[in-house]
Amino acid sequence: MRKQAAAILFTGTMLMAQTIDRTKPPETPPIPAFKMPPVHEAKLPNGLSVVMLEDARFPLVSVRLSFQAGSKFDPKDMPGLAGMVAGLLTQGTKTRSFRDLAEELTSIGATLNGNASPDVLTLGGSVLAENTAKLLDLTADVALNANFPENEVQLRKQNRKQALLAQRSQPAFLAKEKFDEVLFGDHPYAYIAPTMESIDRMDQKSMVQFRDTFLVPNNAVLLLVGQLPGRAETLKLVQERFGSWKEQPVPAAPAKNFPESKRRLVLVDRPGSVQADIHIGRLAVTRTDPDYYPLLVGNAILGGGASSRLFIDVREKQGFAYDAHSELDRRKDAGAVTAVTQVRNEVVEPAMEAVLGHLSAMAKTPVSSTELSDVKNHISGTFLLSLETQASLADQVDLVKTMGLPNDYLEMFTTRVRSVEPNQIQAAARKYLSPDQATIVVVGDASKIERSLEKFGDVQVEKAK
Amino acid sequence: MKYLLTLAILLCAVLQAAQPVIPIEKYSLKNGMRVILSRDNAVPVVTIYMIFDVGARAEEKGRTGFAHLFEHMMFEGSAHAPKGTHFKMVESNGGTLNGSTHPDYTDYFEVLPANKLAVGLWLESDRMRSLDITAENLANQKEAVKQERRLSFDNRPYSTAIVDRWPQIAFENWHNSHSLIGSFEDLNAASVDDVAKFFKTHYAPNNAVMVIVGDIQIPAAKKLIEEYFGDIPSQPKPERPDLSEPADVKARSDVYHDQHARVPGVVIGYPGPVRHSPDYYALGMIDVALTGGPSSRFQLDLVKGKQSVIQYQSEIGWPFASATDYKNPGRYAMFLLYKPNFTSEQIVNQAQEEIAKIQNEGVDAKELERSRTLLRSERITALQSSLRRAQLLGQYEILDGKPELINTDLEKFLAVTSADMQAAAKQYLTPEHRAVLDILPAPPPPAPPQAPKESK
Repeated sequence: MRKQAAAILFTGTMLMAQTIDRTKPPETPPIPAFKMPPVHEAKLPNGLSVVMLEDARFPLVSVRLSFQAGSKFDPKDMPGLAGMVAGLLTQGTKTRSFRDLAEELTSIGATLNGNASPDVLTLGGSVLAENTAKLLDLTADVALNANFPENEVQLRKQNRKQALLAQRSQPAFLAKEKFDEVLFGDHPYAYIAPTMESIDRMDQKSMVQFRDTFLVPNNAVLLLVGQLPGRAETLKLVQERFGSWKEQPVPAAPAKNFPESKRRLVLVDRPGSVQADIHIGRLAVTRTDPDYYPLLVGNAILGGGASSRLFIDVREKQGFAYDAHSELDRRKDAGAVTAVTQVRNEVVEPAMEAVLGHLSAMAKTPVSSTELSDVKNHISGTFLLSLETQASLADQVDLVKTMGLPNDYLEMFTTRVRSVEPNQIQAAARKYLSPDQATIVVVGDASKIERSLEKFGDVQVEKAK
Repeated sequence: MKYLLTLAILLCAVLQAAQPVIPIEKYSLKNGMRVILSRDNAVPVVTIYMIFDVGARAEEKGRTGFAHLFEHMMFEGSAHAPKGTHFKMVESNGGTLNGSTHPDYTDYFEVLPANKLAVGLWLESDRMRSLDITAENLANQKEAVKQERRLSFDNRPYSTAIVDRWPQIAFENWHNSHSLIGSFEDLNAASVDDVAKFFKTHYAPNNAVMVIVGDIQIPAAKKLIEEYFGDIPSQPKPERPDLSEPADVKARSDVYHDQHARVPGVVIGYPGPVRHSPDYYALGMIDVALTGGPSSRFQLDLVKGKQSVIQYQSEIGWPFASATDYKNPGRYAMFLLYKPNFTSEQIVNQAQEEIAKIQNEGVDAKELERSRTLLRSERITALQSSLRRAQLLGQYEILDGKPELINTDLEKFLAVTSADMQAAAKQYLTPEHRAVLDILPAPPPPAPPQAPKESK
C-alpha cells in the first residue's frame, strides 16, 4: 500500500512541469449535489408527527421536539413568555427536580434544552447512541410533566432581568431590538426579547397555561436523527413514551398584519459609543414566496460574504468598517432584508451613502453573469457544508417540518437557486431593496453622530433601553 | 499475571470505545513543511487547515497586535492571486474560510466541497510563496484591524478589561502580559519592512503544518501537495521568545470600571499546569466538575443554591485558549457574571468554597463518572466536523509534535481519579496564588474628553 503511494508520488513529481500551471487557478469539477438520506415519517394516534433519519457516521442521536408555540404566541402583555417556558421546561417535572434532570442527562452523555424562536418552541438535544431510550424518557417527562417549580420560576425571572441588562449593553442587541419593533409594529414578531415589565408579569400560572394550550402532541413534530435502533423499534420507543399524551385543539397564530414599509430613521442614543451600528432594511418575503429565491441570490450578491458588494466596498475599499453585510430574516409569516454595518463615528455619513447606494444599484442594474454564477456556487457549496454535522442536518430537517416548507425543500434547494435569472433579481430588488421605503435604525452616541444623519431623514432620537 | 492481563485487555476494550478513531498519515516535504492527512468519505467535504508556529506571544515591544495585523495581510493577495482573489475563489467554489490569531499559533482554513481541494492548495501555496506586501494593503488593513478593535472590544462590555487588563494581572513576563489585539499606536508604527521580515521568518514552510481532512484520495492529495508546495524554500528556524514566568505566583487583584457593562463580573485565575502533565489532566477534570454541563457544582450551588452567579465560563488557558490548545505558562481562569446584590469578594469566596470542597473531599464515584461521560460525549460531538478534526490534529502537531493525541488524549482525562483532583486542587487552586479582576459597571463620564487622535 505504502509502496504504491510512493510510486504515484514519484510519477507526480516527474510530471510536475507538464501537469500543473501554478500561475492559474486549477480547473475543478462542478460542486457535487446534495443527496438527501431517506426520511421516514409516521403519526401517532394522538397526532404527534414522528420523523426518523438514519445517520450512522457517529455514535450519536439528535432529538428535536418542536411545537408551533414560538414567541408569536406570547400573550399581548407578556412578550418573552414562550422563551421563559422553553427555558423552564428542563428545570423540574412532577417526579424530577432540576438536579435529578441535570444529573441524569449528564450521566448518559446527553444535552436537552428548550428554546423559543419567533415561530417554534423546540426541545432539542443529543445523546450517546447507546442511551437513546433514556433521553427519550427524559424528553417525554419534560414535555408532558414539566411543572414550573415556584423557586425555579422566581430565580429564572431574576436572572432573565440581569441577562436582559447585559444584552442591552451590547449595541448589536439594541439595534435589533429597535429595528424589529419598528418593522413589525403591533405584531408579536416586534419583540426579540422580554421587557422588564413583562418579566414582572410572568408567573407559574401563566406558564402552566401556555404549556396546557400549546404543548400538545397534535401541535408537535418529534425528529430523531442518528444511529437509531431500527424503524419499528424506534417507533415503539416513541409510542411507549408519548402515546398517552392527550391531543386537543390549538389556537390559531396571530393575524399576519404588518405595518406599511416607509422611510423612517431612528437613532438610539448610547452615550460613549465609539461606533455607530447601522441597520437599513424592510419587510420582505417568506421562504415559500415566489420572490424568495431571487431575493436570496440577490442578497448574497449585495452582502452575503467576503466577495459581496458591501464587503468589498465598505470594508475593503473604503475601510469604513470591519463588518458590512446584508441578511435575510425568514420567519414563517413574514420576512425582512437588512443591510448591517458598524462604522467609526467620523464616517457615518459616507458609510450611509455607500450602503444606500448599493441598495439602489441592485434595483437599477442587472447583476453580471460572473457575479451570478459565483454566488450560486457559493450558496450551493455552503449549503452542502452546512449539512456536515448531525446537529446541522437535524436542524435543516426540523426547519422543513416546522416552517411549512415543501417536502422536497432540501433536495431541490440547489436546483432552485441555480435557476434564478438576473431579471428576477432586479425585480425582487425593486420591491425589497429600494432605500425609499427602508427603515433605518442607528445605535450610537447621539452627541457625536446625530448631525451626520440629518440628511437621510427626520431623525427620531430615543434613549437606549 | 493472568489477572493483570485480563484487566489490561478489558481496559483496552473500554478505551477503544471511548471515541471513534481518526486515521492519521503524517509526513514532511523536503522543505520541512509537515503534512497531516486524514481521510473520511462520509460527506463530500474537505478542510484545508494551515497552522503556523507563531502567535501573539512572539510579538516584540512596540509591536503589540502585530501577529493579528499580519493575519489580515494574508488575505491581501499574492503573485497570481491578486487582492480579493482569495475570498472570491473560495466562495465561488462553494467554500468558507477564515483565519485567527492565538497566543501560540496562527491558523487559516478553507472548507470546500471535496472535489475543490486543488483550489485551496493553489491559494495557500501561492500566498506562502509570494505574498503581496504593499504599503497600500498595509494601510488598509491597519484601518480594518482598528475597526475590529472598536467593534469587538472598545464598544463592548467586558472585552477591553479581558483583552488588555487581565493579562497584565495574570502574567509578569511582557510576552504574556501585553495586549494581543494591540494598541492603535503600535499598529500605526508597523512598517512594510516589519511585515516582510515577519512573513519570511515565520511563514516559511518549515514553520508550518498543513492538515487536510475529508473526502480525499491520499495518493492524489500527496501529488498535488508536492506540486504546489514542494519547492517553496525553507528558512532558518526563527528564535523563540522566553515566555517563562516567575516560579512563585503571588496573589494579585485589580478593579476595572467598565463604561459599557451593566452587570458586574469577575475574572478569577490560578496558576496553570504544564501541558500534558498529570496535573493538566487533573485540572481538566476539576474544571468539568466545577463548570461542565447542567449538573456542575457552579450550576447547582451558585446559580441555583446561593442564587448569586448568573453566568460563568472557564477553561485551562481562558480567555484565549482552551485545554486542547493551551500552552504553559498559562492560567486556569474563569469569568463569572453575578447579581448586583452580591459583592465581588463574596463571589470570589463562593467560588473558592466550591474548590475547597474538592480539596477536602474530592468527588464521589457517581460525579466522576458523570464528568467522564460528559467529556466523552462532548469530544465525539466535536469530532463530527472536519474543521474541528483538522484544528485538533494541527494544534497537537504544532504544540506537541503528536497529532495522534487526537485519539489518545481523552483517555488520560478519563483516567484521572478523585485523589488526583484533590491533590491538584490543593497545589494550584489556592487563594495565595489567585489573581482577581473585578469588572464593575461605571457610569458614563460626565464630559468625555476628545477621542484619542489617530494619525492618518
